[in-house]
Amino acid sequence: MANRHPSEGGGALTFNKRPGFAYARKGQVVPDRGRTSGDPDMDASDIEALVIDRPEDGVFKVHADVYRSEEIFELEQKYIFEGGWVFLGLDCQAPEPHDFFTTYIGRQSVIVSRDKDGVLHGLINACRHRGALVCHTAAGNAPTHVCPYHAWTYDSAGNNTAITAHDRGAHGAGFDAEDHGLRRIPRFESYRGFLFGSLDPDVPSLEAYLGETTIFIDLVVDQGPDGLELVPGTVHYTYRGNWKLQIENSADIYHFMPTHETLLRIVNARAADDAAAASAYRHRKEGSVTRGSMCFPNGHNAMFGGGDNIQARPLYRELDKLRERVGAVRAKWMLYTRNVLFFPNMQLLENASLQIRVNRPVSASRTDIVTHCIAPRGESDEARELRVRQYEEFFNPSGLATPDDTAIFEDIQAAAGADAVDWNQGYMRGMGTASREPIAEARELGLNPVTSVTGSPSLGDETILHGPIRAWRDRLKAALSSEDRPSLRYGSAAAE
Amino acid sequence: MTAGDGHAEVVALLHREALFLDEQRWDEWLALYTEDVEYWVPAWKGEHEATADPRREISLIYLNSRARLEERIGRIRSGRSAANLVLARTAHAISNVLIENETAGTVDVRCVCITHIYDPKRRSEFRTVARNALGLVRVGEEWRIRSKKVLVLNDNLRTKLDFYML
Repeated sequence: MANRHPSEGGGALTFNKRPGFAYARKGQVVPDRGRTSGDPDMDASDIEALVIDRPEDGVFKVHADVYRSEEIFELEQKYIFEGGWVFLGLDCQAPEPHDFFTTYIGRQSVIVSRDKDGVLHGLINACRHRGALVCHTAAGNAPTHVCPYHAWTYDSAGNNTAITAHDRGAHGAGFDAEDHGLRRIPRFESYRGFLFGSLDPDVPSLEAYLGETTIFIDLVVDQGPDGLELVPGTVHYTYRGNWKLQIENSADIYHFMPTHETLLRIVNARAADDAAAASAYRHRKEGSVTRGSMCFPNGHNAMFGGGDNIQARPLYRELDKLRERVGAVRAKWMLYTRNVLFFPNMQLLENASLQIRVNRPVSASRTDIVTHCIAPRGESDEARELRVRQYEEFFNPSGLATPDDTAIFEDIQAAAGADAVDWNQGYMRGMGTASREPIAEARELGLNPVTSVTGSPSLGDETILHGPIRAWRDRLKAALSSEDRPSLRYGSAAAE
Repeated sequence: MTAGDGHAEVVALLHREALFLDEQRWDEWLALYTEDVEYWVPAWKGEHEATADPRREISLIYLNSRARLEERIGRIRSGRSAANLVLARTAHAISNVLIENETAGTVDVRCVCITHIYDPKRRSEFRTVARNALGLVRVGEEWRIRSKKVLVLNDNLRTKLDFYML
């Protein structure tokens, strides 16, 4: 017990959380207020105490409540998902005038709509009259949206164009003084066709929020001479586990071999029968493959690595042209395995194929996932077929890799039943080598990450998980320390 | 063979396939398929439009040989797939069987398959609801499945989806 942090367990628990009760500190029991739209009964010091962050001692731990508390879920929704930038979709999901798609910002249904002049608008999907949903499908094309309740009508820019029997409504002056158009997402910006929105107007610019991680969007958009396109077919799934388990898993190099052993056996057996069938993620000998990670401010991170079987990548066929167009360094990076998190809700994942994965927390213990395969616009039939087969096999919840991850998220959630599961230890690999000096792979891209690590896959770095957790902690702490409203301290997340 | 006999044989094959899946008799199940079987579970593009070109669009599952199905069985048997550590109990209910095209050696069949799935580990249950199209071929005295297209209606997948849940 001697070396234990005071809040790590033993007799000195500062956490005394009981199911059905709000956070009780220092022995004080606070009756459950139930789920409210207001803040749970937590303050900034409660959040601080959930993360043990002592890099100087090689200690980093996250309390299991971070993954299971519904009170924390409420705070995350209010101050992270509904209180800052989240990914909405791609502009190519609504390419033509009057095209639209619907998605969510936290718990809020929103519409992204292209108007008659080609301008995209971010709108709240609720009629101004009585608040019914205005858009009912995942995507479509509509010059006007008519609310089915009282037939108020909006154009594709969100302006109100008709109020049923307006002139016979005997409204007072107050009604006509108001704007009746759909509410706008307060902040709505694009980086090279990647659309983000924020329900909080008081956030930095999107580029400032994304910072250096925009290069990982460039590495996707520039893969083809004409940009990228969505491969048709959206795959949705849901799991009974916390949203952070998913984003952490994609950064977790350590799990790959043990969790995905059956996939590796299958692809190795195929390669033994037919060398041409060797997949990009076939089993590799230690030493031939490198893996590294970088943490950036605001919770973004990137796991990456070279030495895989790049001949099995759809892009490999165009490698010479690619080098000519984007240069040798970027071409090499496009063929690297890259799992990049744009905190909090979007990942760009590329191994044998390329995926956009968007998470939407539904509760502390349930997460909805929407996934898209993306590809260089107009790639050859041969490359596209290879891409879709490898995508389905690896990424789909009906494939040979993702279901094993997702089942384990549910196992983690199921195992964290009570306070007996408090501090898990899986955040500390790599702490002895993670550097504040950028590794060579960062420097060659001109990046200056907060921390970075490189090594063999068996290093299994976990310092990559610190970035999102620190951003999570600092965002919630800042929100809860503010007397009046959250002042989100972007940019300081992992820099201290 | 009369049309009526053919129908009975086809229904028997569908029911046998369901039974083999439900009783986890994987080898007998696999033997119902031809080696070059096309096993296809499309994804959806919109509320009422599924993907139609498995070479340029995403499917939930697209396999073009029996060997690919066999890999999935090996994955289950290995005991090393977290998603399959405790297999679900299933009951595949086949209905609405309709023979669409029939030649001397082939028959196209449509049916609905509702698979009731109980997960003993989570003590939870759910179901997949699918409209299936099968292409059968005569091999000697038996019918074999040469193509199977499974259109899953409830495609917000619950954690995972695999052949035994369809």
